[in-house]
Amino acid sequence: MKFSLLLLPCLLLAADPPLVVQNANILTVTKGTIKGSILVENGKIKEVGEKVMVPPGAKVIDASGQFILPGIIDSHSHIAADSINEGSISVSSMVRIEDVLNPEDVAIYRAIAGGTTIANVLHGSANAIGGQNSLIKLRWGKKAEEMFWDKAQPSIKFALGENPKRQGNPTGGRVGAANVNTLRYPATRMGIEDVYVEAFTKAKEYRQSWKDYEAKKAKGEAVIPPRRDLQLEPLVEVLEGKRLVHVHAYRADEILMMIRIAEQIGFKITSFEHILEGYKVAKEMAKHGSAGAGFSDWWAFKIEAYDAIPYNMAIMARKGVLASVNSDSADTIRRLNTEAAKTMKYGGLTEEEALKLVTINPAIHLQVDKYVGSIEVGKDADFVIWDKHPLSSFARAQQVYIDGVKYFDRDDDASARVKIEAQKKALEDKLRRQTPATRRPQ
Amino acid sequence: MTIRRRHFLKSAACALTASGLFAQGRPPILIRNAKIVPVSGPILARGAVLVEDGFITAVGESIAAPAGAQIIEGEGLTVYPGLIDGLSTLGLDAAPTAGLALPQGRGAGGPAPAPAATISRGPEDRPLTTPWIKAADLVKTTDRRLPLARAAGFTSAVTFPTSGIFAGQGAVINLAAERAGQMIVAPSVGIYTTLATNRGGGFPNSLMGVIAYLRQTYIDAEHYKSANEMFAKNPQLARPAYERALEGIIEAPRTLFPAVRAYEIDRMIRLTKDFPTKPVLYGLHEGFRRGDEIAKAGVAAIVNLRWPEAPRDQDPEDHEDIKVLELRDKAASTPGVLAKAGVKFTFSSIGVDTPAATIRAVKKAIDAGLPAAEALRAMTLSAAEIYGIQSRLGSIEKGKIANLTITKGDLFQDSTRVQFVLIDGVKFDPAPEETPQRPEFSR
Amino acid sequence: MRFLSILLVSAALFASDKDSFFLKGVTVFPVSSPKIDNTTLLVVDGKIADIGAKSAPKGVRVIDGKGLQVYPGIINSATNIGLSEISSIRETNDTGELGDFNPQLRAIVAINPETEHIPVVRANGISTVLTLPGGGGFGGGGTGIIMGQAALIHLDGYTYEEMEINRTAAYQMRFPTMQSRTFDFDTFQFSRGSFAESKRRFDTQMQEIKRFFSEARTYMQAKTAKTPGLKTNVRFDAMIPLFEGKAPLMITASKEREILAAIKFAEEEKVKIILADVREPGKATEEIAKKKIPCILGPVTQLPPEADMSYDFNYSLPSQLHKAGVKFAFGSFQNQFARNIAFEAASASSYGLPYDEALKAITLSAAEIWGIGDKYGSIEKGKYADILVTNGDPLEVKTDIKMLFIQGRQQSLESKHTRLYDKYRQRPN
Repeated sequence: MKFSLLLLPCLLLAADPPLVVQNANILTVTKGTIKGSILVENGKIKEVGEKVMVPPGAKVIDASGQFILPGIIDSHSHIAADSINEGSISVSSMVRIEDVLNPEDVAIYRAIAGGTTIANVLHGSANAIGGQNSLIKLRWGKKAEEMFWDKAQPSIKFALGENPKRQGNPTGGRVGAANVNTLRYPATRMGIEDVYVEAFTKAKEYRQSWKDYEAKKAKGEAVIPPRRDLQLEPLVEVLEGKRLVHVHAYRADEILMMIRIAEQIGFKITSFEHILEGYKVAKEMAKHGSAGAGFSDWWAFKIEAYDAIPYNMAIMARKGVLASVNSDSADTIRRLNTEAAKTMKYGGLTEEEALKLVTINPAIHLQVDKYVGSIEVGKDADFVIWDKHPLSSFARAQQVYIDGVKYFDRDDDASARVKIEAQKKALEDKLRRQTPATRRPQ
Repeated sequence: MTIRRRHFLKSAACALTASGLFAQGRPPILIRNAKIVPVSGPILARGAVLVEDGFITAVGESIAAPAGAQIIEGEGLTVYPGLIDGLSTLGLDAAPTAGLALPQGRGAGGPAPAPAATISRGPEDRPLTTPWIKAADLVKTTDRRLPLARAAGFTSAVTFPTSGIFAGQGAVINLAAERAGQMIVAPSVGIYTTLATNRGGGFPNSLMGVIAYLRQTYIDAEHYKSANEMFAKNPQLARPAYERALEGIIEAPRTLFPAVRAYEIDRMIRLTKDFPTKPVLYGLHEGFRRGDEIAKAGVAAIVNLRWPEAPRDQDPEDHEDIKVLELRDKAASTPGVLAKAGVKFTFSSIGVDTPAATIRAVKKAIDAGLPAAEALRAMTLSAAEIYGIQSRLGSIEKGKIANLTITKGDLFQDSTRVQFVLIDGVKFDPAPEETPQRPEFSR
Repeated sequence: MRFLSILLVSAALFASDKDSFFLKGVTVFPVSSPKIDNTTLLVVDGKIADIGAKSAPKGVRVIDGKGLQVYPGIINSATNIGLSEISSIRETNDTGELGDFNPQLRAIVAINPETEHIPVVRANGISTVLTLPGGGGFGGGGTGIIMGQAALIHLDGYTYEEMEINRTAAYQMRFPTMQSRTFDFDTFQFSRGSFAESKRRFDTQMQEIKRFFSEARTYMQAKTAKTPGLKTNVRFDAMIPLFEGKAPLMITASKEREILAAIKFAEEEKVKIILADVREPGKATEEIAKKKIPCILGPVTQLPPEADMSYDFNYSLPSQLHKAGVKFAFGSFQNQFARNIAFEAASASSYGLPYDEALKAITLSAAEIWGIGDKYGSIEKGKYADILVTNGDPLEVKTDIKMLFIQGRQQSLESKHTRLYDKYRQRPN
């Protein structure tokens, strides 16, 4: 049996000494490929080029024959959370993934071992308006507070289609005993649209109630302030453009409905997530300005996924939609590089276009492209050293850096395994031997 | 119980005005020539304690016996302040299941309440919220665990309703009395919360839903309070609706929140910073990783004594995660770590089979590095301080309630036996060893 | 009559057009031997007639494959293709019949030749799949022990009869497990039940299995002895090919204890077995190798079984089995990702499995395990022309599949996916 780096408290190098990675094929994503080096200081990329300054005391890594890609950004994940869905109500905007982040979820380590450095941990899709998401840097070994990322924009999850209407179905969508007592509106896509209309109508009234209150208060009237409503506050933020909206969407009709209802209510859809039929309404998405993050090749797992095609990203990209590939899976998050490569096969995207789907494009739609998503001077030193071109099926992440700190190293992992195996064996033996103590000095 | 009967009991309880009355009319008790461990001060190798009318009236090297006093020759005996079970359900009929043994501590919540007739559709429906339930109203003198607890050296317990998110208010009780009302030392020492989800299908059905609910409810409680204050001054304003569920939530002197794993402790410290109440954390099996953080946060801690152990009837080839094994190995070191970090802590017996097993579990913590004196303090004065009743319980001092535990030998030695306890000045000899009432504690 | 004979004659004349061709300018990767650069491949009447012939025989269609690469068609050794369309919709699933012992059930008869999965999977170079009667989506009973007969099929044909390679490629069996730990979907955590209870259940099931085998064998003996008055028993009749060694028992057993028990069981019952969905073989690996039991491995890319196992536990399992001398092929055990089987092989290769072995596990090794290694699985003279033509390594995700032949018949690479692609990329802006 083999073990991973679960318990090693701090393999991590301090960010302090500058770091130079030399002789690498640097896939900058935004500025072409450079055969050269990268200098990291204080967690940021200081220099990129054929030759860079090597400051005294710098740690130098030779990456001959290897490839550097910015850390992969997964715009749709559910790892590292102790709960995913507050599905009891159709508007659960008051719940926050941040509250239940589990920094010890091994899925984080596995994700970085696959080259992912940032994950947008989303509320689930049980309801039309879900909870607040948490965009985290996968700083494995740190506390939850240290995974929260101060550059992350607040966001909220919406969901369309089969999932949010499931609880309106007496059989829960399955054959079996019906529990009519727990039925929850809505049961149809029509009802889902209505949830948005009603929720935002309330949110507008709520916003008005505060305005009225402030006005009366300014006039010196004795007035009881409105009750702060944590369900409606995030929706007001959406109306004011202060909170991004990520929408779980499969079918073209519901995507179009969402765009139109958002335009009618007066807010913008940031992205449609694991979108399947974006290719059918790419025109409308492009016009609205929403991004489309898709599954590489998932299909046929539900009836609403029956028209899913792996050419989705290629069509969206060609038709002017900001496209990316997301995982929605603790498994797939470990190989988004080859998930992106599938768009070369299906639809003929170029290498650079394919790489963008998991780096700069999600960074743009998550509005963090100023900091991450490409290898550029001044950006966070989030990068991965791959042994082969990361779009190859045979590529393996060798080292992963976040803010210039190494969080994964395949060689260290191998040597640490032996240690942990011994540790576990010793623990097992100890616990087996344990008998009640008889003498206790006072 | 019929209304009439309840009325009768209430008026009977009203006739008695102080808990000390329990001992009224009994002769004074003088224990002399015993080792006295006051906890609040230095140990007297040879000393005496005088108990009158349920109170400690004198402590010293030598005390003259008042007329008619019952004199107990304490040669070879040690006198401790009565042990306090810092978080329990003693005195309540139903013992909760051992929720804390779960890897993800969601609180020691009892069995999930039966689904409500109407499904909760949001915070406004105040799901699983019963802050009006008071342990003080529910305790009974007939709980079969009480004699077992006394035999193990406990004289008091802090007892909470444990079912629901805002489960209810705890009381400090003495573990013997003629009538239930006489057991109460302090009727409302705080509110117990769990992170129980709504199994009935309504809100909240997730951990984050429960947390969001806690947050909204505190906001609502503050709003409720200020709205009522404004209304009192401005009767022309719209009348705030009365809400039983919000009454007293922020007035509670403290609120207990669950946190078992290290990252759950981080989480709860982070969350409770924004809650308008004084938090106390309970559970804490992985507290051995967070001593300094808890100390820095300045919150008190209640360490649950149901140490994680291998499940019975386990598949010998079951894969056990290294973290599970580590927690099993190190959980009992938590009290030692907390003591060293300067955290104020006591213990909870919730989920532990018997009071005797509770004491054994404390011994395990001592084996894992907790100084015995710190263990004793945790079970006496610290418990009293955490609940703000240190003027009445927790040490052997003049003026405190005469709750004493008298042993032959040092408290945490295996060979030591509790000789007797005094509760409100009344002497109780241990009943013969009883086997635990399994069904009550069944998992 | 005369008209008919004309038809027959012309069929004979043009038949070669359908399953004969001459492919030139290609690099051939025969799998059974080293690659041959810049060569030709001659296929006549669906079979490989020559490699390296200078020119095409007269009348044989010539295909210019300049710069392309030729491989055997890919075999996916575990799917539900034809039996499951949309995994979450009960009505579209024909896997998992009710009842514990169903050796008489045949996957072949329920295969829908028009399933959208066939063209989708074929477009990725897969010519052959094993279709299992159990597992996959929301099936019926789903928890049976002997689930029926798995069919090995070509992804080409108007009817299942035309697709059939072997309708009884294996009997699918789910080996009972003693595991008392189950995943609780309420809490999304593992919960432990009573081990004593699980063991009792396991022992009971094993007893039932042994009784079923023993009764079936007694029945077979009575039948061989032509015992008068023997009543026909369809289920027992279905067991006879297994007892006669004509078909293997494909046993799903994932962990060491179950694998060892399955091997012991097979020895006692003297049946040939294949182990399926091997995940944590542990010390059973040596036993599997020693007994030369072939394995069908599930997705290489799935998550490690336990939180404290190494991150590459599944990636490196094929390599470890190979080092121990175990023969294996890869299977998807579902349909949605069945087209990705070559990429699974690639993952195994990047974590230690030699490239050639990875390729074999989806071609020649699979053919050998399914008893058709003499006809399929490599590019050799006399074998059927199940042939894949690409512009690169088929294990690389980005490689394009250019042509696929099944028994020399060129396959359409169109699918629902390409049709929708063509339609919507042409949608006016």
